[in-house]
Amino acid sequence: MAARPAKWDLEVDLVCVGSGLGGTSAAIVATDLGLRCALLEKAPKLGGLSAFGGGEVFVPANRHMTKLGLVDSKEDGRRYVEFLAMGYGSGAHRDKWLATMHEAVEYYEDKAGVRWKACQGLPDYYYPDAPGSKGSGRYLSVELFDGKSLGEWQQKTFLTPIMPMGALHEEMYEWGGLAKITSWNFELLGQRIMDDQRTFGPGMMGFFVKAAVVDRKIPAFVETPVRELVALNGRVVGVRAEKKDGSSFFVGASRGVLLAVGGYDHNKDMACMFEDMHDWHGVFPAYLDGDHMVMGPEIGAAIASVPPTNLALFWGYQIPGEESEGRPLYRSSWECGCPHAIWVNQRGERFCDESFYKDYQPRARYWDGKKQEQPNLQPYLIFDGNYRERYPLGSFMPGQPLPEGMVVQADTPRELAAKLGLDPDTFVRTLERFNQYAEKGEDPDFGKGSLPWAVRLVGDLSYPNPNVGPLSKPPYHGVKLVPVSVGINSHGLKWNTDAQVLHVRGEPIPGLYAVGNSAALLDLGGGYQSGTSNCRAITWGYVAGRHAAGRPV
Amino acid sequence: MPEVEYATTARLPVQTIWEFVEEMDNWARFVVGYQSHDKQSDTDSTWVLKGDVGMLARTVKFAVHIDEWDGPSRVSFSLEGLNEPMKGSGTFLLEPFEDTSLAPAAAPPRKGVFARALEAIARFFYRLRHGSPQRAASANAGPAAGTSRLTFRLRIEPGGPMAPMISALVKPLLQPAAEDLANQILATLERRHGIQ
Repeated sequence: MAARPAKWDLEVDLVCVGSGLGGTSAAIVATDLGLRCALLEKAPKLGGLSAFGGGEVFVPANRHMTKLGLVDSKEDGRRYVEFLAMGYGSGAHRDKWLATMHEAVEYYEDKAGVRWKACQGLPDYYYPDAPGSKGSGRYLSVELFDGKSLGEWQQKTFLTPIMPMGALHEEMYEWGGLAKITSWNFELLGQRIMDDQRTFGPGMMGFFVKAAVVDRKIPAFVETPVRELVALNGRVVGVRAEKKDGSSFFVGASRGVLLAVGGYDHNKDMACMFEDMHDWHGVFPAYLDGDHMVMGPEIGAAIASVPPTNLALFWGYQIPGEESEGRPLYRSSWECGCPHAIWVNQRGERFCDESFYKDYQPRARYWDGKKQEQPNLQPYLIFDGNYRERYPLGSFMPGQPLPEGMVVQADTPRELAAKLGLDPDTFVRTLERFNQYAEKGEDPDFGKGSLPWAVRLVGDLSYPNPNVGPLSKPPYHGVKLVPVSVGINSHGLKWNTDAQVLHVRGEPIPGLYAVGNSAALLDLGGGYQSGTSNCRAITWGYVAGRHAAGRPV
Repeated sequence: MPEVEYATTARLPVQTIWEFVEEMDNWARFVVGYQSHDKQSDTDSTWVLKGDVGMLARTVKFAVHIDEWDGPSRVSFSLEGLNEPMKGSGTFLLEPFEDTSLAPAAAPPRKGVFARALEAIARFFYRLRHGSPQRAASANAGPAAGTSRLTFRLRIEPGGPMAPMISALVKPLLQPAAEDLANQILATLERRHGIQ
């Protein structure tokens, strides 16, 4: 914790640390309510983690569904969210989140120019079996955002290397989803790239960054990491940030400091301590260092957690030679949602429905107590010649030579197993059993292809079971997978329903807020659903901004 | 498909520039994203470059074949991606420069306001990443004894289903890349020959 300087370098009312969805949401509403705000960003560009993802915002019974004639209700939304939570987290946080999300999301549309629309055709994860689930319309995404409208910030707002640039959600589905990427309209995407028309996370953050730094002229500082909080008599009154030259930059905050710096994906110690992951690779740029988990506890903030079955873990790979922001780029693997591909564990056995990451996450951590081993950690992606003819591996299209040093190839399953160091007999049995049912489009072992969400997103709709096809055509391929993270962790700062950070003794720390992935997932509890992370960031950023302005929700 | 042409002048005789250019080891490191190259013969070589389109960089291997080696005035080459569906071609032209004009040999094609802005931005970030060739202000100048004009043309033709998108990503980066290659070559020679 830094001592209060004799003189602040900058004095505002609210300092937002981090320029993703949580930070910009809070800054926008607080500015509208008369506060002077500043955005401090560690990265060289604005947008944070929020700019790297799909830009979906999960809002049950949103008004855009109604316009499309889609039936939903807030009560059904509550039933579904309660189903996700499984009783974990905090009912009070969930109640307020559900009660406030519509007001918040609509505020940024009505007052800040964010143009939402409902994604048609993409179901809830657990539709149709989960109570209150719906088959379409709960995901909001933005319309095309014109990057040129960012002015001097156009090149200083993050784009993403992992989402299809220029494509809208509904176009992606109309064109056949990820499995049919070779038939997408790349002429259109090329034109949009040339014209800097942004979609997905970059589009969403384009709207929020524009509303904050262009329209409201909120001062924003990139490459300015906040290192310490400044507290006086138990109240947070500012921050000590660091300039590019290493000198201190003290910013006073009369109404408070909001921590919205994402998670701790790139902090190996925290990954080991909180997620039991010794080999964990962040998909996003290396700015998620867990700063909130240092600065908060340093002044007595409590840490809270939810079960590690949230979105803390994917399986993925690094294509040799691929980099983003100067470091190796890790991609999460979606290939196994396509037919003709499976995963096997270290024993050469399947262990999950590979098309649905919520199924494989908890199974990945399976611990064999008798043998004291975790066989499902570091599985292999296996695919055959049929797969290679039809579907991409990462950004490598069918027919394109696969990257050297990444893919093991063999003419027979037995030979592939030997090359991968797997037991050949077990591996061949695994393949034979899978193929026996896959010919009929079935997967009695793990139910692959049973969830409309996985079918829609990654399945090949020309197959009887869009997620299943036999592995029967040589050559056979194997890719060793590694755990990768996407910024959403099981641990975070403990907070109350005004987004105030709580002290280890239970009371709020005056002047300190945490939102987004810096705040423990107390509202979500034990489950996850695409778009909930963005909805949390917007809702609690709105709540924090209003609270700081003396107009609490 | 992305195609650029860049022309510049130098107070150096054609023969001097040619002797430098004809040995690729002299200028290989000036190629944008250069990682390594391997010369198999006088006409064939393999190049490894890091292609950087801003949010994503990828290592690309090219086979380069010299189609025409007509010293000291012209080199034409073709290239083919070994791990990416990409083809291309290029030409170095060297000629004595007699004009008093400072204008480049070929007027750049007219572009829209946004295309020019995009190119300027790409050039700015390109320079941030790769540095800027330092040439004396007077070097790119009018006639003098032994003054030459170097013209560099480059065309890249991405293939595969994503070709239109790759073209869009690559296009704004080609012009600064072509300019830098030409200018780095000339800057090196000018330093070597004491031209201020």
